[in-house]
Amino acid sequence: MKKTVKGRWRLAVALGVVATLGVSGCGLNEDNSSSSGSSDTVLRIGTTTDVSNFNPLQSLSKTDSWILNAMYPHLLRIDENAQKAPELAKEYRYEDDGKTAVFELRDDFKWTDGQPVVAEDVKFSAEKIMEYKLGNVAAKLTWVESIEAPDATTVKFKLSQPYAPFAEGVGFWMSIVPKHVFEKAGDLSKFPNDSNWVGAGPFVLDSMTKGQRYVMKRNEHYPLAPEGKAAVSQVEYRVYPDVNTMMLALRNGDIDLMGTPVPVSAAKTFENDSKIKLAKVGALGFAHLTYNMKNKYLADQEVRQALSMSVDTKAIIDAVLQGDGQQMAGPISPIFAEYDNTEIQPYPFDPAAAKAKLAAAGYKDANNDGFFDELSFGVACDQSNANITRVVQLFRESAAKAGIKLENECVERNTFLTRTKNGEYDIDASQWGVFDNPMDQLRSTYLSSNPGGINYNLLESAEMDTLINDAAGTTDPEAFKAKIKNLDKVVHEQAYLTPLYVENFQFAYNASKFTGFAPSPSDLLGMVTAYSLAQVTPVK
Amino acid sequence: MSAPVLTEQAIPPVAPATTKRSSWYAYLRQPTVALSVLVLLVMVLMAVFAPLIADEPSGAGPDVLQPPSGAHWFGTDDLGQDIFAQVVWGTRTSLVIGLAASLIAIVLGTAIGLAAAYFRPIDAVATVITDVMLALPTLPLMIMLAAVVSPSVGTLTLIIGFFAWPEVARLIRSQGLVISAMPYIDGARVLGASGWRIVTREILPAVVSLMIVSVLLTASRAVISEAGLSFLGLGDPDAWSWGRILLNAQRSGTIAIAWWQTLFPSLAILLLVLAATLAGLRFNDTRDPRRNGG
Repeated sequence: MKKTVKGRWRLAVALGVVATLGVSGCGLNEDNSSSSGSSDTVLRIGTTTDVSNFNPLQSLSKTDSWILNAMYPHLLRIDENAQKAPELAKEYRYEDDGKTAVFELRDDFKWTDGQPVVAEDVKFSAEKIMEYKLGNVAAKLTWVESIEAPDATTVKFKLSQPYAPFAEGVGFWMSIVPKHVFEKAGDLSKFPNDSNWVGAGPFVLDSMTKGQRYVMKRNEHYPLAPEGKAAVSQVEYRVYPDVNTMMLALRNGDIDLMGTPVPVSAAKTFENDSKIKLAKVGALGFAHLTYNMKNKYLADQEVRQALSMSVDTKAIIDAVLQGDGQQMAGPISPIFAEYDNTEIQPYPFDPAAAKAKLAAAGYKDANNDGFFDELSFGVACDQSNANITRVVQLFRESAAKAGIKLENECVERNTFLTRTKNGEYDIDASQWGVFDNPMDQLRSTYLSSNPGGINYNLLESAEMDTLINDAAGTTDPEAFKAKIKNLDKVVHEQAYLTPLYVENFQFAYNASKFTGFAPSPSDLLGMVTAYSLAQVTPVK
Repeated sequence: MSAPVLTEQAIPPVAPATTKRSSWYAYLRQPTVALSVLVLLVMVLMAVFAPLIADEPSGAGPDVLQPPSGAHWFGTDDLGQDIFAQVVWGTRTSLVIGLAASLIAIVLGTAIGLAAAYFRPIDAVATVITDVMLALPTLPLMIMLAAVVSPSVGTLTLIIGFFAWPEVARLIRSQGLVISAMPYIDGARVLGASGWRIVTREILPAVVSLMIVSVLLTASRAVISEAGLSFLGLGDPDAWSWGRILLNAQRSGTIAIAWWQTLFPSLAILLLVLAATLAGLRFNDTRDPRRNGG
């Protein structure tokens, strides 16, 4: 207890400092002089915040990854249909009954200092991640016993046991860094990588002004671009902490693309603007209400089911997302069509039935205030997430009809993250950003050992552990799908979480200046993946 | 029992009973004062009778982001909720926090200010503390505190009140110093009155008018603080407040297309603060003996 209080104070001090700096940092975006001369080949993108960590193996921030992913290649990428597509790797396969994953690399990727990108770079990146437990990829490399690079274009990962989505997960998430540059740095967990960048993506950072801009120069060798290099000679990220300002900047022509999605409610902003176009992509995550199993009452399946019946997801999608979203039943998103168990149906919105269910389960309203005496929960959420705060507001009102008293605990973002980390919540209302495959999702959200750190249920169930580990070791694709579908059903019946919606994201760009973006699903990837930026061409 | 008699003859700032009525009348007859007091009265009525004026904003409606019209006087937000209702209900939170926080600040500030003015040893310590508190950047500090504790109307009131007392303490102390140097205080002391009695019975009545002014000024500052904290996402998420309406507009990216969502709550803040400040300043003027020729 003492520890968390101390942690909060530290957080609070940090917040105070950030607030002071933030106030002084506002309004520094007026200087537009640098790009006026050759503005037709400079693509200017709006981002919301500064880069917090330039080390691609370590950084976990969404906005960092926009810039870093354009510099450091990945083995695989996610295409517009949410499928894995080749990037640095031409192909991958399993050998040895699934205990060896083999990647065949392209031979035409080059680092900006002229060196080719080779298998040793991949081996080095993976080994350093395992050695220093860097970023979120370390958990995905758990099963690796050894890595071999028999020639310049082949990498073999030897696994301790077969794990079906190993190659997909590692291939998509792991950044490949230049061995000849990074090995000089020593301890990579302390390597800031904040100058003299060497990359192999379509663009590489050249200079930056904190709080204002990040200038990236074109890599003259990028084989995935139509002409061997990107058509745009320079990409410049500009910092706009407030989405309203960023939208105005796009309208005024100060930027050409918004990295962050346009809020649904604000899409009208661009309605009468012929130059600005919106591109729509799906999501790789979803919004959800997750119940803390350490709470005595939330540990009761009846209560969780009743809560699920008190959320009007249809109305939420209509009101909060203006109808632009999909309903979900279990924890597997419809974007993974092969794994989504279509037999299960969302809990019907019926507060009266929920109330009856709770009464039948023995809950009483002795003081006749319209609420069951024991059932009072706090719903924690991040105050800066416009959609989720609205959801909590509506959830609170509809749950009251079922006799469940909810308290809105939407707090400032960093406080929320700390509380989430420490399990200080009853119900967690939040959004999962990107799951690239359902197996990784189930492992990180329901295993007792909590390898991904996002088991927000704080669930410790031997039965779930067995089901998940059994599925993870299954190599036969059909049996694997059946097991995932079964897990989908179990989680739904247990109502460990109430999935809210899968939303669509809209990205706004200046179509009178640039065209050819190749958007991928989710707001992590969106329009600003390395592949997409390499395809962009200026409008003549 | 002779002390009060001395008081009434000697304290200049407290007007004799017979002229009290006419001075109130003179005060209210000033057009700015009349307008300000009217605005404050309307706000108070709106806060008290909010449920009769508009339903508490809830749920979601089909009329999303509608500009002001007969059906929605102040337009609607991105959920289709009526902004007028939000502003009316926001008046409650703003006024409650404003008044309660300023009461906390007044009680703390007056106690510390008077103690510092009369008891020399306390003065040194209290002045240093007051100076330190005045030098602190209050907004970041309030943000810190509000992030640590769970946001609710109660905690916000405490936080804002706690950071507002130093100004009051300083005002009261300077007035208190003048009073405690007056001959009638020496007289009281000679007659054997205790320190407690002198402070509460002799000095306190002489600074009451200053306290009334402070209540108004501090309350208007507290309203701004509350709106600021709510706008930064540190307000009570269950209570409507003007800052929260602004936050909703900013967060949902509608500032550029839905001017009504920011204009009306901002106007409400402006009106309340302006009215409170003007009423306070004019009150101070009418009570100033130098201006009124004693």
